Amino acid sequence: MTDSPLPTLKTWSYLSTGARRRPSEYEVVSTGLHYHTLDQNRPWELDPNIPMAQWYKRYRNQSPLRHPDWDAFRDPDEMIYRTYNLVQDGQENYVYGLFDQFNERGHDQLLDLEWVRFLADAYTPSRYLFHALQLGSAYVHQMAPASTITNCATYATADHLRWVTHTAYRTRELANAFPGLGFAECERERWETDPRWQGFRELVEQALVAWDWAEAFTAFFLIVKPAVEEAVLNQLGELARAHGDTLLGLLTQAQTRDAERHRRWGVALVTMALEQPGNREVLTGWLGKWVPLAEAAVEEFCAGFPSDGRAAAQRAKHAMASFRGSLLLAASHLTQPNLDQ
Amino acid sequence: MALLKREDWYDLARTTSWTPSYVSEEVLFPEEMSGSRGIPMQVWETYDEPYKTSYPEYVSIQREKDAGTYSVKAALERAAFVDKADPGWVSTMIAHYGAIPLGEYLASIGEARMARFSKAPGNRNMAVFGMMDENRHTQLQLFFPHANIKRGRQWDWAHKALRTNEWAAVAARSLFDDITTARDAISTAIMLTFAFETGFTNMQFLGLAADAAETGDHTFASLISSIQTDESRHSQQGGPALKILIENGKQAEAQQLVDVAIWRSWKLFSVLTGPIMDYYTPVAGRKLSFKEFMLEWIVGQFERQLLDMGLEKPWYWDILMRDLDSTHHGMHLGVWFWRRTVWWNPAAGVTPEDREWLEAKYPGWNKNWGRCWDVITDNLLNGREALTHPETLPLICHMCNLPIACTPGDGWDGQDWPLEHAGRLYHFGSEVDRWCFEINPDQYKGHQTIVDRFLAGLILPPNLKGALKYMGLAPSEQGQDAHGYAWIEKFRAAKAAAA
Ligand SMILES: [Fe+2]
Ligand SMILES: [Fe+2]
Repeated sequence: MTDSPLPTLKTWSYLSTGARRRPSEYEVVSTGLHYHTLDQNRPWELDPNIPMAQWYKRYRNQSPLRHPDWDAFRDPDEMIYRTYNLVQDGQENYVYGLFDQFNERGHDQLLDLEWVRFLADAYTPSRYLFHALQLGSAYVHQMAPASTITNCATYATADHLRWVTHTAYRTRELANAFPGLGFAECERERWETDPRWQGFRELVEQALVAWDWAEAFTAFFLIVKPAVEEAVLNQLGELARAHGDTLLGLLTQAQTRDAERHRRWGVALVTMALEQPGNREVLTGWLGKWVPLAEAAVEEFCAGFPSDGRAAAQRAKHAMASFRGSLLLAASHLTQPNLDQ
Repeated sequence: MALLKREDWYDLARTTSWTPSYVSEEVLFPEEMSGSRGIPMQVWETYDEPYKTSYPEYVSIQREKDAGTYSVKAALERAAFVDKADPGWVSTMIAHYGAIPLGEYLASIGEARMARFSKAPGNRNMAVFGMMDENRHTQLQLFFPHANIKRGRQWDWAHKALRTNEWAAVAARSLFDDITTARDAISTAIMLTFAFETGFTNMQFLGLAADAAETGDHTFASLISSIQTDESRHSQQGGPALKILIENGKQAEAQQLVDVAIWRSWKLFSVLTGPIMDYYTPVAGRKLSFKEFMLEWIVGQFERQLLDMGLEKPWYWDILMRDLDSTHHGMHLGVWFWRRTVWWNPAAGVTPEDREWLEAKYPGWNKNWGRCWDVITDNLLNGREALTHPETLPLICHMCNLPIACTPGDGWDGQDWPLEHAGRLYHFGSEVDRWCFEINPDQYKGHQTIVDRFLAGLILPPNLKGALKYMGLAPSEQGQDAHGYAWIEKFRAAKAAAA
């Protein structure tokens, strides 16, 4: 096998082009896996014009966000499958440890009834919202132009199912502790009709049909998720602590760890995109489209808080804006929150 | 214990469909991506996956599985089995690793298609675990062969193969794309998970694991049997989708999806898995013949599942039963003959002991396939190695993208199944391949086989050298006889003894 002019390799030929250092396990198992990006006119080994070929040509290959080598993207966390499970198994042990301990000490029975009613309106319907994030991440997964981007979306999809699962678990516990308040029964109706959720529902329904891969990434990972995370995790978590609901405060804090990881690769991807002329304009255009919807969603959600909803919304919008500021997009009208409402 | 049981909250976690109003349901779930076939959302909400798991269980179980698989690899690494293994077995590994890991990665997209676009909420959640599983299978099956990268350039093909236009890679993509990524979510549930994964991954991952264990390759055996534990979970997504289609008057359409997926999978297995099991794996390591594995997994188990589901055996079942005796022998002969065009070293697998085994497993082998190998053996014994390489291109099937094979010798049945469609002449290796095309020509009609590309002037220079270049095969990557023709010495000795 080695009787030829080709030199012996130390890693895949794909990674051997001029590289001096030994690639990490992350690079060995994650890079260059989307063979269907190689021929831009013929994504699949089938008729080049079937609907699915047209979908990928239009929404992936012809995206206005351009880069000659998306495959050069690297996840700053270098997450791979086996480390993901290690990390998240540990995180889940922590969360289920919380569920166990707080149940043992009768946490729910000590909650104020008004707060419990509020949870039925403003917390347990969140499984629909988290599920929408799960759908959005799964879309970015199947459309991303590089496997290193797809992988980030794979783990994010699983994380969002994790959040759905936490909410489902707590919903059942609250339903057991407080029969008759609509827990485990009325979430869908509240998600579909309660005014506090309609901004978020509109936001995710619209974002889920942003078919261009890069717009879907931008909408979900740079705008929708930060809005959800600041309002439905952080601000709701703060409020919970103030109402003696320590468990919800700790749970949302644990979930935020996942969100921080998503933001790290989101920032890295934007940084890479901005290397190319023209992309700043594309991204600021999308921000201009999605930020107002997201801010409105945050305001409507926080308006339903029992007190200080306006201040909570301001804090959430500030945090969203400061995240956008970290993207180096430097278009001030898009990184400053709209504080007039 | 103050923790809830999974069943207390599981249904809530999969009650996630809502009625959209800011965009319509048809826009949120486009038919071309979703494939709900007019069956209402509420009906899809009755989808009930038989194998249930949850996020916390998943990360915990998978963490343990990986700990096991990676530690077997680490423990056995020093033993360097691959350096001592029979070259035929090494070829088995190299062929497997080239065809599989990027196909696994493609399967994660198929899973993501269901995770986003299936109207069945249980399917959407289970497919998230499926996405994760396929991510695992890709990473494991890249990490393991990468450890051998210094042993030769062919190991590079674990990453490279599906990124090239090598003909077997084209054939593999043609199947994988068709059943995995190029269709709507529900078609994917049926073709990828029900047909391919329930039926065929058992062949590749349990059948081959049995051979690996017999051969002494415990790292490979533990790796691929661990992968199959994931497959046996996520393959169960197709069944409940089929049930919904059948109950809602879509039985004929469902049957067709199953039939196409099974036939196309069979064809790819006949060129990749058949030769591996019946020729490359040393005789002592062959647990069952390829045909016996097919009879056990496809005919025995899968056929029963089809009938239980309320479907019928594919219309071509008799043809398949007949072809179990022949197709892969022809494929093997072709692969060995055109060995320079593959990324592994085909083992001829026709020593006297091999031939005895083949005759026992496939009565009549000697008077059909054996005669071709007699000629090859004779040429090699007489220093006419050049005659054991082809000078022409084979005819390629417009469905499976594989050579149109036939049984030589006494059982000669060479036949092309042509079809003219919209002014273009297509060739098929069997009436079933042609049927797959005829029921859905738009899916395939504009595709060019390697031979079409050759004739269109896309392969330059238009000769074997140009073809090898087009396929990405440098001299040290091109296949050679796995044993360097050492196997003919037994025939020489026998001849000398007889003389
Ligand atoms: Fe797999
Ligand atoms: Fe699979």
